[in-house]
Amino acid sequence: MNKSLLLLFFRKEALSSFRHDAVFYLFALPFASLTLVFGLWPILLSVQVSFTASATALQPHPAWVGLGNYSAVLADPVFLASLARTLLYTVLAVTANLGFALLYALLLDSSLIGRGRTFFKLAVFLPVVTPDVAGYTVWRWLYDQSFGALNAALKLLSLPGFGGLASPATAMIAVLLAELWHHAGFYVLIFLANLALCERSLAEAAEIDGARPWQRLLHVTLPQLRPAIAVNLVYALIQFLKTFTAVVVMTKGGPAEATNFVSYAAYQLFDQSEYGQATAMATVLFAIVIVLGLGSYRLTGRAA
Amino acid sequence: MRRPSALARLAGTLVAGAVSALFLYPYLWMVSGAFRSTREILSAPLRLRPDTPNFDAFRSILDAGEVPLLRAALNSLGITAASTLLAVAVTAMGAYALTRRPDAMAFRVLRAGFLLSMMYPYMLLVIPVYIVMYKLGLLGGYTGIVLFLSLGPVQFFLFEQFFRTLPPEVLEAATIDGATERQMLVRIVLPMATPVVATVATITFLLNWAQWFPVLIISATPDTYTLPVALLTLSGELGTNFQGIMALSLVTTLPPALVFLVAQRRVMGGLTEGAVKG
Repeated sequence: MNKSLLLLFFRKEALSSFRHDAVFYLFALPFASLTLVFGLWPILLSVQVSFTASATALQPHPAWVGLGNYSAVLADPVFLASLARTLLYTVLAVTANLGFALLYALLLDSSLIGRGRTFFKLAVFLPVVTPDVAGYTVWRWLYDQSFGALNAALKLLSLPGFGGLASPATAMIAVLLAELWHHAGFYVLIFLANLALCERSLAEAAEIDGARPWQRLLHVTLPQLRPAIAVNLVYALIQFLKTFTAVVVMTKGGPAEATNFVSYAAYQLFDQSEYGQATAMATVLFAIVIVLGLGSYRLTGRAA
Repeated sequence: MRRPSALARLAGTLVAGAVSALFLYPYLWMVSGAFRSTREILSAPLRLRPDTPNFDAFRSILDAGEVPLLRAALNSLGITAASTLLAVAVTAMGAYALTRRPDAMAFRVLRAGFLLSMMYPYMLLVIPVYIVMYKLGLLGGYTGIVLFLSLGPVQFFLFEQFFRTLPPEVLEAATIDGATERQMLVRIVLPMATPVVATVATITFLLNWAQWFPVLIISATPDTYTLPVALLTLSGELGTNFQGIMALSLVTTLPPALVFLVAQRRVMGGLTEGAVKG
């Protein structure tokens, strides 16, 4: 077979398979267009802008600066401090959220709770579907020194006051608590779904064999919760690395930069028309999210 | 298994009750704050029952600042409804095509591209979306907002998961009977998919009602602001009009809270499945 015949053969083959699948391409067309225009194009644009000078970034012929924005961002002490802060916050928030969610789910799943299980589940899940802006607005005022219920309650119990969002020492913890309120219900739900699939007879056998409750938890229940731990870990890592709305609503990065996380720092640069550095920062954060997300996914192995 | 003692069960219920109370307290405080005068709150921040219910706040936010409340509420309803309908239609057809022809090269590329764009940090995606909207001339209009809100990972995973479980025999039988693919989708697949369509629609409504950042970025004027965006800009503007802020928070929270309470099983089941199977 000579070359042109071969080409013809392939074209014919491709054409007939295309004709066979044509209706499916038609079905997928709107989905593909939206993905292309509002998903992939912005990402490519973002990467492109990160290699151009901010002042010319939106012009038809932007000035290319190579890795200039990246080296500027990576040499910037404000960004490095913000990155360290983001990582610290992520570790604290993931630990607090998953720890709380695991304990609460174990309690709800245990024979200690008779009636009210649905109510206890709904109570922690309602904040997940509450618009985050509204939730964090209420929290901002709960922390307020003169209006807030939190300090009024502490005073009533003669406990020392809580600096909340006003003090650099406590602002990160205050944001963390509000975010836990908003997100933890989701992790509880995932743990509960996994617990419902656990083999009860294993725990019973262990009990008959004389295993203490904490031994049963550590050696029987937790290994069976591996899929939920993997899913929650990946979701929580991605969630808290990107913490944004809570900062916009409650602190604007303050006080004294105490809650200026990377996504907010990038947004501020964007707001100051520093498009090049903003998108460079965004791309760095994306790389971190991908590496940590995939890493934890591999490490915990969801197939287990 | 050994039944725990009555005392242990009481303790367990008390702990769960205390946690639930802490999670629900902000709602009670918000509702009470919306009906208590600022002076009353300052004198007793903890109290939940107002001395004299006071509706001033709702009047004050009706035309406070740049965004009239009614307009923001209608925007919220319209944008959420339109983007939900579009999301369900577009994602259902897309996921159906991708599960029926999983080996088509174009579809493999599409799926990977979609997953990549869903992994990109959202608030960082929204920034270049501003540039895209600018280039398409969609800044400041409803079209851009609705289109952007019509794409989401949970929706895609739920549909994909459902279409993968379709029994192949049903589709084969229909093919033998001479049904075209379009007839098959409309007459056989969609009727079977009603529950998952309802789940995706409810979840999309809840997610899109809460959206604020894309709405703020794509809007050129406050005319297209939704309730969360209005709340965000007003809480700066209202300063310490605490009562007004709580009233607006309440108006923003109430619709999704009611939808969730009515459809809680569907929502929690769908979100679990969308997360685990994705």
